[in-house]
Amino acid sequence: MAYSRSHILTPFTEKLDQIHSSIMTIGELARANFKNAICGLFERNDDYCNNAIANDEEIDLLEMQIDREGLYIMSRFQPVASDLRYVISSMKIGANIERIGDQVVSIARRSRKINEHPEVPELHELDKVIKLAMKMFDDALRAYTEENETLALHIKTQDKQLDRLNKELNERLILRMQDDSSKIPIYFNLIFISRCLERIGDHAANIAEDVVFAVSAEDIRHLGS
Amino acid sequence: MNPTSINSTELLPSSSKVTPSGVTNETFIKVINFDFFYGKKQTLFNINFAIPSKHVTSFIGPSGSGKSTLLRNFNRMNELLPGVRHEGDITIEGRSIFDASIEIIALRRRIGMVFQKSNPFPRSIYENVVFPLRIMGCHKRAHLNETVERSLRSVALWDEVKDRLGENALGLSGGQMQRLCIARAIAGQPDILLMDEPCSALDPIATAKIEELIVELKKEFTIIIVTHSMQQASRVSDLTAFFNFGKLIEFDHTNRIFTAPIEKQTEDYITGRFG
Ligand SMILES: Nc1ncnc2c1ncn2[C@@H]1O[C@H](COP(=O)(O)OP(=O)(O)OP(=O)(O)O)[C@@H](O)[C@H]1O
Ligand SMILES: [Mg+2]
Repeated sequence: MAYSRSHILTPFTEKLDQIHSSIMTIGELARANFKNAICGLFERNDDYCNNAIANDEEIDLLEMQIDREGLYIMSRFQPVASDLRYVISSMKIGANIERIGDQVVSIARRSRKINEHPEVPELHELDKVIKLAMKMFDDALRAYTEENETLALHIKTQDKQLDRLNKELNERLILRMQDDSSKIPIYFNLIFISRCLERIGDHAANIAEDVVFAVSAEDIRHLGS
Repeated sequence: MNPTSINSTELLPSSSKVTPSGVTNETFIKVINFDFFYGKKQTLFNINFAIPSKHVTSFIGPSGSGKSTLLRNFNRMNELLPGVRHEGDITIEGRSIFDASIEIIALRRRIGMVFQKSNPFPRSIYENVVFPLRIMGCHKRAHLNETVERSLRSVALWDEVKDRLGENALGLSGGQMQRLCIARAIAGQPDILLMDEPCSALDPIATAKIEELIVELKKEFTIIIVTHSMQQASRVSDLTAFFNFGKLIEFDHTNRIFTAPIEKQTEDYITGRFG
């Protein structure tokens, strides 16, 4: 059922549009921060990292705004059916994006630490993990805008792949640590960043679940594999 | 519109919107291939569904969709109008209410009805409550007294009026009058209670009291309520039936209807998108 926000009651439509646009804004911001943090790491530029850390406050404020908007809709318009699911999902998606923002801040902090040391080729061990985590997050935001259930379900399958990439990277870097103990702090930070990326994938998968719930009323959490 | 599993003990007609899944109580009221006409004008179209006992069922739908018409068929009130006719059947506990052997008085006695505008008689509070007993020919003082107290207590009106039972009922507030009418409707100890927009003229507190009463009364009665308040339907009813243009569009657990209805028409109506 294609979801149209158009109501007979105009203020209701407006508020639903508003929460939708707030999600788009927080999503765009978190995405930009994510890119900044990664640039900071690969271009060895702390300014990008600091920028990502500073912008996170905006994300926190937006999350609270989304909750206020959701609460307003619930108390003023008593949404039901698809509207109710849409509002609840939007609030949960806002919270997941905020958590992604927190992971991005951790990535930026770890990147600054790595930037203190000479560059190591192992940095590019992260490439695949970054690419997949970014794709999952992008897809999650797109699934939300397009109310695309198929795409949302696809994100869930990518989550397992990301877990595996993260695990493999951990194993490789831990072996490397035994060869060259002088690089332990760098490897340690890379492992940490990879873990943050894996967490971002988890949040993207949560967003995908919320999209599926909003669109089809199916609760696909905890379905096992 | 096939509920995942049907636990009804009876076989339902194949075209049925049937009993929502998980409703295990035996079918109490059943509407079968029911059509209704005011003169030449058909108002209800092939209605099929089954209501379990001691549940609250709400009828929702746009104005003119036939909710009141269907409600008035359960106690055959429509027959009082000239030129009406029906096809199909309605059964209560498996027995057709249109059966020639059914005494219409007896049928109406087992069904209490409450209207949108409370309609107490211009008599005392006491006489209003005992009215159904009087028409049944009961005049035993002790029994009448006992019925008045029991009925007024069940509608939580006893404490408010016990010292002025002899006063004219028209002196009560709107909410009190409505509770008095419910007391009157249940005084004859029916087993079905029909309510047509019982709260539409009441403030939120009086409405809350009636709703609390409905939830309380369903322990004893099978209740059908017509309401234009989606919130009211979702607060008090176990099952919800959505009507549009004289057709039953969807019938399911209230929770299901208000979180994930199956039919687009239902969705559009309850979310306020009906064009
Ligand atoms: N006594 C009557 N004679 C002729 N037509 C009638 C009569 N009562 C109702 N109707 C028609 O039957 C249709 C259904 O009316 P009904 O009163 O059952 O609708 P409803 O769903 O209860 O509407 P509302 O929500 O406005 O009370 C309407 O088209 C109405 O005009
Ligand atoms: Mg009506």
